[in-house]
Amino acid sequence: MPTFLHTADWQMGRAFTRFETEDGAALVEARFEAIETLAQLANEHQCDAVLVAGDVFDAQTISDRTIRRVFNATKGFTGPWVMLPGNHDAALAESVWTRAQRLGAVPENVNLALQPGVIDLEDQRLSILCAPLTQRHTYGDLTEPFSGYQSPEGFLRVGLAHGSVQGLLPDEIDSTNPIAPDRAKASSLDYLALGDWHGTKQIDERTWYSGTPEPERFRNNEAGNALIVEVSEFGATPKVTSVPTGRYQWHQWRETLAVQSDLEQLLERLNALPESAVVDLRLEGSVTLAGEETLLKALSVAEARFRSLGCERSGLQLTPTDEDIAALKADGYVGEVVESLRERQEGAQDDVARDALAILAGMLREREQEVGQ
Amino acid sequence: MKLQRMRIEQLRQFRKPFVLDNLQPGLNLIHGPNESGKSTLVRAIRAAFFERYRSTAVDDLRPWGDSAAAPTIELEFEQDDRTWRLTKSFLQRKRCDLAVGTETYSEDDAEEKLAELLGYQYPKRGASKAEHWGIPGLLWVEQGTGQDIEQAIEHAGDHLKSALNSMVGEVASSGGDDLIETVRSQRDTLLTGTGKPRGDYLKLEKDRAQYELEIEELKERVHKYQEQVDRLGKLAQDYDQAEAERPWEDAQRQLEEARVRYQQVERLEQQQNQEKATLSQLQQNHSLLQQNKEHLEGLSRQLEVRKAELDRAERDLSVAEAQTPAVTGRLTEARTAYEQAEKQRKLAGLLQTRERLEQDVRRLEQQKQVLTQNLAKAKEYHQQLEQARQQARENRIDSELVKKLRATGNQLNEETIRSRTIATRLSWQLDAGASLTLNEESLTGQGERQLLEESTLVIPGVGTLGITPGGEELASTRRKLKALEEDLDEQLKTLGVESVEQAEDRLSVFESAGRAVKHADELFKSLAPAGLEQLVSDQKEVDGELEKARTQLEATPKPDPKEDVPALEEAEAAFTRAGNALDKAESDERAHQSSLSALKQARDNAKTEWQRLADEEKSPERQQQLLQITTDLANIEKQQAELEASLERREREIREARPDFLRQDIERYQNAVNQLRQTQENRGRELRDIKVRLEAWGAEGLEEQLNEKEAEYDQCNRRYQELHRRAQALDLLLNLLTEKRQALTRRLQAPLQKHLNHYLSVLFPEASLEVDEQLRPGTFARGTELGQITELSFGAREQMGLISRLAYADLLREAGRPTLVILDDTLVHSDSDRLEEMKRILFDAASRHQILLFTCHPEKWQDLGVPPVDIQASKGQSMQSQE
Repeated sequence: MPTFLHTADWQMGRAFTRFETEDGAALVEARFEAIETLAQLANEHQCDAVLVAGDVFDAQTISDRTIRRVFNATKGFTGPWVMLPGNHDAALAESVWTRAQRLGAVPENVNLALQPGVIDLEDQRLSILCAPLTQRHTYGDLTEPFSGYQSPEGFLRVGLAHGSVQGLLPDEIDSTNPIAPDRAKASSLDYLALGDWHGTKQIDERTWYSGTPEPERFRNNEAGNALIVEVSEFGATPKVTSVPTGRYQWHQWRETLAVQSDLEQLLERLNALPESAVVDLRLEGSVTLAGEETLLKALSVAEARFRSLGCERSGLQLTPTDEDIAALKADGYVGEVVESLRERQEGAQDDVARDALAILAGMLREREQEVGQ
Repeated sequence: MKLQRMRIEQLRQFRKPFVLDNLQPGLNLIHGPNESGKSTLVRAIRAAFFERYRSTAVDDLRPWGDSAAAPTIELEFEQDDRTWRLTKSFLQRKRCDLAVGTETYSEDDAEEKLAELLGYQYPKRGASKAEHWGIPGLLWVEQGTGQDIEQAIEHAGDHLKSALNSMVGEVASSGGDDLIETVRSQRDTLLTGTGKPRGDYLKLEKDRAQYELEIEELKERVHKYQEQVDRLGKLAQDYDQAEAERPWEDAQRQLEEARVRYQQVERLEQQQNQEKATLSQLQQNHSLLQQNKEHLEGLSRQLEVRKAELDRAERDLSVAEAQTPAVTGRLTEARTAYEQAEKQRKLAGLLQTRERLEQDVRRLEQQKQVLTQNLAKAKEYHQQLEQARQQARENRIDSELVKKLRATGNQLNEETIRSRTIATRLSWQLDAGASLTLNEESLTGQGERQLLEESTLVIPGVGTLGITPGGEELASTRRKLKALEEDLDEQLKTLGVESVEQAEDRLSVFESAGRAVKHADELFKSLAPAGLEQLVSDQKEVDGELEKARTQLEATPKPDPKEDVPALEEAEAAFTRAGNALDKAESDERAHQSSLSALKQARDNAKTEWQRLADEEKSPERQQQLLQITTDLANIEKQQAELEASLERREREIREARPDFLRQDIERYQNAVNQLRQTQENRGRELRDIKVRLEAWGAEGLEEQLNEKEAEYDQCNRRYQELHRRAQALDLLLNLLTEKRQALTRRLQAPLQKHLNHYLSVLFPEASLEVDEQLRPGTFARGTELGQITELSFGAREQMGLISRLAYADLLREAGRPTLVILDDTLVHSDSDRLEEMKRILFDAASRHQILLFTCHPEKWQDLGVPPVDIQASKGQSMQSQE
C-alpha cells in the first residue's frame, strides 16, 4: 500500500524583515534547503508521492529566480509531487503557477492542482482529491465537493486542502477558507492532508496539518516537521509519523529581571541554547549599571554564537546604586545629572532618560578606565 | 600674593643685574621714561611665569648682540604666609628653581607648581600666548589691552571656575566640562544646533522616508497587479460566457427580421407611389377630355359669331352702295361746271381779239394821216419803191405768227395722231347689204373708225349699242385736241389765211417783197434819207393795214353785250379749277368703286365661313365624338374612385406598419450587434493586453521585492530608531549637563556682580553693568542709555575693563586665591575727571590687592599718595649696591 509525505506552507519568497540582512538571507536559504530535505526524506521513507497542502509560495509576484529555485529543489525526489494552491498562491486567472508554467520551470513529475478535482496517480494507485483556492478568500468549504468525487477502484482516497478546520483552531486564526471538521469521514477519505496552520497538528485520526517544514515565526509551536503517512490497507487508520525537517529553532523569551540572580539564570539558559537558535529576547524589570554591563557583554557573545539574536531592553530600567555612582566618580553637577536622570526614568518610565543615563554611565566608565590606566 | 623683590640680569637692556625691592603690599607706582626698561620689567615678570625655562622661543629676552647671555629672573613673593623664591634662567643656561618655605622644586615641577598656584597653563611648544595665560592674563594688563576684557575672561574660563569652586560649595564636577564637550560632540554628530537630524541620523531619516515611498509604490503596484488579476478573471469569465451564449447572433436575427418587415413596407410604398402616378395620369386625361367636350359644345356659339360677322359685312356693303348716286351726281356736276368754264374762257378770248383790232384801226388811221402829209416829199424814188411796196403790201404777213401757226399745226397733227392710237377702234366687215349706223353715220362693207367720244352703234333689226371709250387720257386728249383746233383757227383768222400752207406761201412772197422794198428804200434813203417814198409807202402800208384791221374787226363776231364776260385770265383760272374739281370727282368715284368691290369681297368671305361652320355644326361626326367623350369621362371617374380607395387602404397599411419605428429597430439592432461584437472583441483585446501586462509585471517579482524592501525598511528603521533614541538621550543629557553647569555659573554671578557694582558706583553713580552667564560684563545701562560694553567709547571701555578685572580680583581673593594686579601704562585715554575717579577706585582696590602700576607719565599719578619708584634711579642704586 502507498506511503506518502505530507507537507505544506513553504511560503517561498518570504523575506525576514526583523533580522539583520545576513541572518534574513540565511533563513531564506534554509527554506530552500528544507525542500531538498523533504525530497531526501521522501526517498528515505520510500514514499510514493509528496503532497504539498498549499502556500508553496508566499506571494503571487515573486522573482523568476525564486520560482525556478523552488522547483529545482524538488529534483531530489523523482516520484510524483502534487502541489495545491493556497491562500497565498491561489490559482487566480494569472498566478505564480501560470508564470511557473510559462517559464517552463515545472518539472514533469510535479502536478499542479490548479482546478478542483481529482488527480489520479495511476502508478501509485493514489487518488488525490484537490480543493485548491482559486480566489484570495473563500467563505465556503471548498472540500465539500470531495463527497461527489469518484476515485478508481483500488485507489486510496487522499484529500488535499488548505484552510481552517472549523471550531478546532484558536480564534485568532483567520476564519476564511473554512473546512468541515468531519470532512475525512464525510467524504470517505483515507487521509486528509491539510495546510495553513504552520505547526504540526492532528485533527482526527485521518486529518492532519503537517505544519511548515522550516519555522519562520516565533509564534507557532511544533513547526519544522513533515509527516510520513502509511496506509496498511483500505479503510485502515493511517500511520502518521512526524519527522523533523527544520534547521533553525526559534525562541522567543519574555523575562522580567528583578534581582541579580534573575540575570544570572537568564544568561545560563541562553548559554544552553544550540547555535542554530533564532532568539528573540524581551527584557523588563530593572538592572544595576553593573548588571547591565554584564548583560551587554553576554549578549555580545551570544550574538556571535546564534544564527540571530534580538534583545529588546527598552522595558528594562537602569537603577544605578550608590556604589555604581561612586565607581563612576560622578561628582558635582554631573552627580546631580545622574540623580535627575534616575528620577525621570523611574517616575515617568522615560526611555530617553534611561538611554541618557546609560550613555552617561558609559562615558564616565570610559573616563575612569582612562584615568585608571 | 605680595611681590617683594625682583632681580633681573642679562635681559635686554639690563645686561647688568637690576633689583627692584621694597615693593609695598598695596599700590606701587613704577615710572621711567621711554626706553628706560619699564616694559622690560613687565616682560620679565611674565616670562618668569608663562615661558617654559627650556623654551627656544624667548630670543626677545636676550640682550642685543649677546649670544652667550643667559637671561635670568629672580622673584620673591609671599603667598599663604610662606615666602616663594623663583629663579628662572633661559637660553644659555636653562634652569628653573622654586623654593616655597622649606620645600624646593625645580624644572617642570617648579613650573607646574606656579601654574597651579596662579591658574594658567604652558604652551605645548613655542612662545606663550594669550590663550595660555589664564587668571594672570585677566589681572596683568599689558599696555593698550585694558579694554579687551572678554578675551581675557574666556581664556581664564576654566581656571576661574575651578578657582572659584570653593566659593559655591561642592558643585563643580571634576572634568564636568570635558564631559559636556564629549556629549556635545556626540550629540552634534546626530543633531544640528536647533535639534534637527544631521549626518547618519538625517541620512537614515531620509532613507526611511525613501523606503516608505518605495514600499508605498510597490504596494500600489501590487495592488494594481491584483486588480488586474481580478479583472483578468472577470474578463475571462465574461468572455467565455459570451462566446458560449453569442448574444450578437440573437440581435442579428432580430435585425434580419426587422429588415424583412421594413422591405415589405418599402414595397408597399413603391406600389403606393406607382398608383399615385396612375391617378395623376387619370386626372390629367380627365381634364383633357373635359376640355375636348367643352370645345365641341362651343361650335354653336362660334356659328352665331360668324353670322354676326356676315350681317355686319352686308350692312357695310349696302351703306357703300347707297352712297353711289351721290358720288355719280358729284361727277356730273363737276363735268357741267367744267364745260361752263370752258365756254367762258372762249368768250373772253374773243373779246380780247376785238379790242386789239379796234386799237390797231385807230392807230393806223392816225398813222395814215401823218404819212399823207409827208408823201409829197418823196416823189423821186416813188415809182420804184411803189412797185416794190405794192408787191410787199399785197403779200404782207407776220413771220413769227406763221411760225407759231406752223407749230400749232404740227402740235395738232401730233395730237391727232396720238388720239388715233388710244381711241377705241371700231372696225367692221359687214355682209353685203348689211349696214350699221354709227353716230347716225351709216356704215357698210368694211372699215374702221376711231372713237374718241361716246358713240352709238345702231344695228338694224337688233338694237343700239353704246360705246364708251375707256382710258383716262382719252377724255383729256380729246379736250386738248379740240383746244388746239380752236387755237389753230384763231391763228388762221389772225393771219387772214385759209390754211397753214397759204400762210407759208404768203410769207414767202412777203419776204421777197420786203427785200425789194428794203432795196428800194435803201435807194430812196440814199437819195433822200428822209424818204418821201417811204412816207408814201408808209401811208399806203398804213392804209392797207387799216383796211385789213377793219376787215378783221368786221370779220370778228361781236359779243353779246348783255352777256357778262369775265377777263381772259380769270376765265382761264376758273377753267383750271373746274378741271381740277372734275379730276377730284373722278378720283372719288373710282375710290368709291374700289371700296365697293372690297366690301363685296368681305361679305362673300364671311358668308363662306359662316356656311362652313353651319355645315360642320350640323355634321353627324361631331355628335358621335361628343357622345364618345362623355362615355370616356365616366369611365375615368370610376377608375379614379377605385384608385383613391386603394391608395387610402394602402396608406393605412403603411402607417400601421410604422416604418419609422422599423428603421429605428434596424438601427438599434445593428448597433446592438456591433456593440455586442465590439464588446467581445474589446474583451479579447483587453484579455490579451492584461495577460501581456501581467506577464511583464509578474516577472518583476513585485511582492518579493516588497518583502525585501520592507526588510530593508525595517532595518533602516531599527537603526533610525536607535539613533533617534540616542540623539534624544544625548540631547537630554547635554541639556541636563548644561543646565546644571549654568546653575553653577549663576551662583558665581551674584558675588561678581556685587564687586562690580562696588566700583561702578564710584565711576557712574546711576549706572549698572550686568554680568552674563559666562561671567562677562555684558549689558551696560546708564539712565535711559542701554547697550553692550563693546559699544562704549575706548576710554570708557578701558575703565570698564579695569573695574571688571578688579572685581574678579576681589572674587578670587574671597576664594582664597592669589591676586596680583599689574597695570602697564593704563588709563592713558581717560580724561582728568574720570582718571580722578579711577584713582579712587585703584586706591580702594589696593587696600585688598598688591597693584604694580607702571607708567611713563608719573605726573598724572602724583596724587596717588604713594612714593613713586624711578627706574633710572633704581638702576643707579643697583649699580652701586653691586659695586
